[in-house]
Amino acid sequence: MSREPSGAAEFDPISLEILWSRLISIADESAAALLRTSFSTIVRESNDFATGLMDANGDSLAENTAGIPSFVGILPRTLKHFLHRFPKESWKPGDCVITNDPWMATGHLPDFTLAAPIFHRGRLVGFCGSIAHAPDIGGAGWSSDCRELFEEGLRVLPVKFLHEGRINELARDFITANVRVPDQVLGDLFAQVAAADVCARRTSEFLGDAQIEDLSALSSALQDRAEKAMRRAIEAVPDGTYRASLDADGFDADETHIECAITVNGSALHVDYAGTSKQIGRGLNSVLNYTYAYSVYPIKCALDPMTPRNEGSYRSMTVDAPEGCLLNPRFPAPCSARQLTGHLLAGVIYRALAQAIPDKVIAESGSAPTLRSVYSGVDRHNQSFSQVFFASGGMGGSAIQDGHSCTAFPTNTGSGSIEAFESISPLLVWKKELRTDSGGAGKFRGGLGQDVDIEVTSSHPLRLSLLSDRQKYPPKGLLGGSEGAPVEITLSDGTRPHPKSRSVLQPGDRLTLRFSGGGGFGDPRERDPAAVMADVRDGYVSAEQAHGIYGLLRDPADA
Amino acid sequence: MAASRIRIGVDVGGTFTDFVLVDDHRQLIYLGKQLTTPRDPSRAIIEGIQRILREAGVDIGKLDGVVHGTTLVTNTVIERKGAKVGLVTTKGFRDVLEMGREIRYDLYDLFLEKPEPLVPRHLRSEVDERVDATGAVLRPLDKDELRTVARRLVDQGVEAIAIAFLHAWRNDAHEREALAIVRAEHPDLPVTLGSEIAPEIREYERSNTAAANAYVQPLMQRYLSRLEGELHELGHRGTLSIMLSAGGLTTVRTASKFPIQLIESGPAAGATAAALYAKLTGNDYLISLDMGGTTAKMCLVEHGAPEHSNEFEAGRVKRFRKGSGLPLKVPVIDLIEIGAGGGSTAWIDGMGLLKVGPESAGSEPGPVCYRRGGTEPAVTDADLLLGYLSPDFFLGGDMALDLDAVRKAVETRIAAPLGLGVEQAAAGIHAVVNENMAAATRMYIAEKGRDPRRYTMIAFGGAGPVHAYGLAKLLKLRRLICPLGAGVTSALGFLVAAPAVDLVRSYVARLEVADWAQVDGFFTDMEATAVERLVEAGARKEEIRFERRAEMRHVGQGFEITVPLPDGPLRASSLDQVRAQFFETYEKLFGRRIEGIGIEALTWRLHAAAPQSDVTLRFAGQKADTGQRIKGERQVFFPETGYAPCPVYNRYALKPGDGFRGPAVVEERESTTIVGPDSTVHVDRFLNLVIDIDQSTVAVADTEVHHAHNG
Repeated sequence: MSREPSGAAEFDPISLEILWSRLISIADESAAALLRTSFSTIVRESNDFATGLMDANGDSLAENTAGIPSFVGILPRTLKHFLHRFPKESWKPGDCVITNDPWMATGHLPDFTLAAPIFHRGRLVGFCGSIAHAPDIGGAGWSSDCRELFEEGLRVLPVKFLHEGRINELARDFITANVRVPDQVLGDLFAQVAAADVCARRTSEFLGDAQIEDLSALSSALQDRAEKAMRRAIEAVPDGTYRASLDADGFDADETHIECAITVNGSALHVDYAGTSKQIGRGLNSVLNYTYAYSVYPIKCALDPMTPRNEGSYRSMTVDAPEGCLLNPRFPAPCSARQLTGHLLAGVIYRALAQAIPDKVIAESGSAPTLRSVYSGVDRHNQSFSQVFFASGGMGGSAIQDGHSCTAFPTNTGSGSIEAFESISPLLVWKKELRTDSGGAGKFRGGLGQDVDIEVTSSHPLRLSLLSDRQKYPPKGLLGGSEGAPVEITLSDGTRPHPKSRSVLQPGDRLTLRFSGGGGFGDPRERDPAAVMADVRDGYVSAEQAHGIYGLLRDPADA
Repeated sequence: MAASRIRIGVDVGGTFTDFVLVDDHRQLIYLGKQLTTPRDPSRAIIEGIQRILREAGVDIGKLDGVVHGTTLVTNTVIERKGAKVGLVTTKGFRDVLEMGREIRYDLYDLFLEKPEPLVPRHLRSEVDERVDATGAVLRPLDKDELRTVARRLVDQGVEAIAIAFLHAWRNDAHEREALAIVRAEHPDLPVTLGSEIAPEIREYERSNTAAANAYVQPLMQRYLSRLEGELHELGHRGTLSIMLSAGGLTTVRTASKFPIQLIESGPAAGATAAALYAKLTGNDYLISLDMGGTTAKMCLVEHGAPEHSNEFEAGRVKRFRKGSGLPLKVPVIDLIEIGAGGGSTAWIDGMGLLKVGPESAGSEPGPVCYRRGGTEPAVTDADLLLGYLSPDFFLGGDMALDLDAVRKAVETRIAAPLGLGVEQAAAGIHAVVNENMAAATRMYIAEKGRDPRRYTMIAFGGAGPVHAYGLAKLLKLRRLICPLGAGVTSALGFLVAAPAVDLVRSYVARLEVADWAQVDGFFTDMEATAVERLVEAGARKEEIRFERRAEMRHVGQGFEITVPLPDGPLRASSLDQVRAQFFETYEKLFGRRIEGIGIEALTWRLHAAAPQSDVTLRFAGQKADTGQRIKGERQVFFPETGYAPCPVYNRYALKPGDGFRGPAVVEERESTTIVGPDSTVHVDRFLNLVIDIDQSTVAVADTEVHHAHNG
């Protein structure tokens, strides 16, 4: 139901546009401050951070433009836990509260969520906050094979990291004593403090400029607009319940299964995951906050991509998963690699929605979930190193275009430079190229995955941690489109390292990573023959596939 | 440089080609404008030069130099009209160009379009060779394979070749060998080496830069040599210099070899002109606003020098959207460009809110008021309704504007759907476009860790002085400067620029273990190359100045900062000084220093330049208008007063030392300056309007970003 906000009438469409764009620009400036000063590779290579501005009720008012899907809507949820622990009246200027509890915040330990109050003319008018992936959180490091949360690292329940601007030394020492790179972890927490600082100052300045006392009237007017936009978009989807399911590799013999039912009723949309596998004893569990974020994000992309986000954008959408299941596990389930489950949701949601709005969705992506390989050990200078290899599979095809090759979806991780990667690790990349025939065939084919060959040049053994899926269950196509190619990971001796665990690489070992292509969309025989010919000319598709699957009659060599 | 000279600056823009002639001897400045001739830009250039010479009464034989800036390179990349290029890469890496950064520039658009690589996959070929990150050769170059590959590309009809091998930033031997082999068999084929055009770590950006250089090279070579020939035929015996993206000048020969370095040649002139004004008016902290028909460009100028960057994104498929283009490693003046100009159109979004831009009506059909078929209300239309522009004095009266049509369009398209009055809607359009510029400027400045409030704004471009007052207030600036001849100010930049060159080497090392002899060798080499190029461009060896910088960061951080390096030989004993410079720069940017984490350097840069031309541009010889300062009065809208009578000043009748209070409208041929009621104007000796905004209306706030909680 749409709430008629009080005071919305005070703002005309011009003032609202100007004020809202200023609030978003405050969130963006805050994000710029965080990004500039952070150490975490993951923050910058994966954009794995978010900043936001909340009103005095803790409801989201503006989020930074480039905030990533995993954090959609999470900040205000975490803030509500903070407010439960520290009632509103107890917050003082200069306070900063942090936590990394997976259930209160983002679903795994490496992310720190920080919130700080915003005061204007002596009154608490709102909160600013940020989430950032820390360079380390102790425990097992980045791996998916732990059996309990406690193995995965340090857990910090909501605590005042700063008291009126003064550092909480106990909290600081407790954190720095339990992580591998204390200076960097602390440096990044201060990057979050700096971001909060910018946000609080700019917001107070904004209120002064706009000559308004607090954010409440503006907040309800903006949330109302965002809510109406989202509701209008949902109303355009025919009422009904749309179902789809998905199987994933899981851990060893424990395959996982996701059941998804989307019910559209007027302007409301509900996602229900009843029937999904039980939680498992490895770090693939996706806590409900994360499940929620990765459910709401793909829906917003499909239905209403243009409207900026705030609390109102999410009011019309609800997400539910039975307690104790893979998508709503109980404490202390391990959840370090929850992306291996969460990234799958976009695909199952789109397969359900394709029954109603096929033109607005895409087939499953080869980059969902991401394939990560983490290398650690000592380099040639005998210094310890740890490097993540960032790369992506292909996006799914759609009703209007081929999927993009080597492009992450639903997350938005970039890839680093191979030259930079080789400069700081004892590894040599012999190949990084598009994987022919990996894009699922279709009227619009899936984007291509990639083939990567990495050799260990260190004279010492290295540790490899793999976080991957899609070996048994490759990305599915939509409406007659074919599957993308599955992930394949092999060593030069022909063995296959565990896809979700830690193994040892010997000097001279050569690892081959084959990234999945995206699923195709529509019947391959309906693909424009000219497009098939061009694909063959450029080597995206082999002549065999062109003849066998696309039914190309002409010999591409004639082109 | 010689004190009395006659020079012409030529700025080829999308719509107009602007000309400035400066006669140092007679202290005269002549301005000219010619419609750009896109098919053959040299036609407008030649005609315009002949016309301005006639007006100034100067014989072409007396002309010392022509300085030229062009948007030809950037347009070739945007419109994808460049050469058919073949790319040769290391085995296993031919898709570097296509994979790019593997990122979505728009997080919510499932159907986003990505930029096509400049070289399609079937024209990208691999050869067996491999160098590692230390520069050691792991596999020798397979020369026979290279020969075969080059022949095949030539058979496929390529007009230029780019060669970009892995780690060639560290060791370019294989690229050099490959060049020699290709040259021997195909002597007329232009070849670009990654290690020469951008010897910096990161293969995608370097390969892309090499491909882009090859892509524009055939066209630019033809164009520059034709222009040089035509000028010579006319009797020009002086120099022809080309403006580089970083604001320096170069020769036709160097420009033909590295044409990609001209990609921001046009915008660089505006920033260089702003730098001239910074020096003239003694402003150490300046923001320039160059607002034209389709875009607004903002640039920071500190201590007389515009900000620089080493990367530029060309050919964005979604205009103004960061990440939607091709990243190039090219030294450029660092400016931000957004879709906010006189032609930007107003619309209503899905939430019923008023938006302006980035779409633009351009000059065809143009805003509604131009009467050329435009139907969407544009910023210029709103400015007309608000009384900022005169329907009778647009372009000095050359173009009559249609106020009634504007009123109707704003009413039906914007005001009625939003339930607002026409005037309110017009004020909204003006305010929203100003807010868009303010937001972009704030981000641009925030990313550099600075605070906008200490800056003075200088505004030019046709729409700049109309919007500068509103923008300055949003950014809480206290002072605004509007130079005379706003429409052609940027062309002045060509005439103060000096020959310059930027060179770079990459070598990644922790400072503690760096091989300083090697670093020192880089600088010796780079200085020799720089001297050679600058002397060729007309500089005297002894007047060349060098600046050394390195890009450095804490080990583990992803962002480098540019740190000045000491002059003189670099040795291990320089370590303390280099480290101190790093900390100082870091602290200035981020407000804190972090001890205990290693520091590494990635890239070593040399900037070399001859001194800039004499900057005391005098307007003394300029003809003054002896008429009345105030030529009338009209109803003008300001948020504080609503529509109220406002005096209209004749810019040409204002003399140095004149002063008055706002509100005021000051009209000149190419633009109009708007001054709000809370401001004071005075005319300085360069005939600039210097506008001071009362401070009672601007909250005095802290001026620096500070981090209070560093515990």
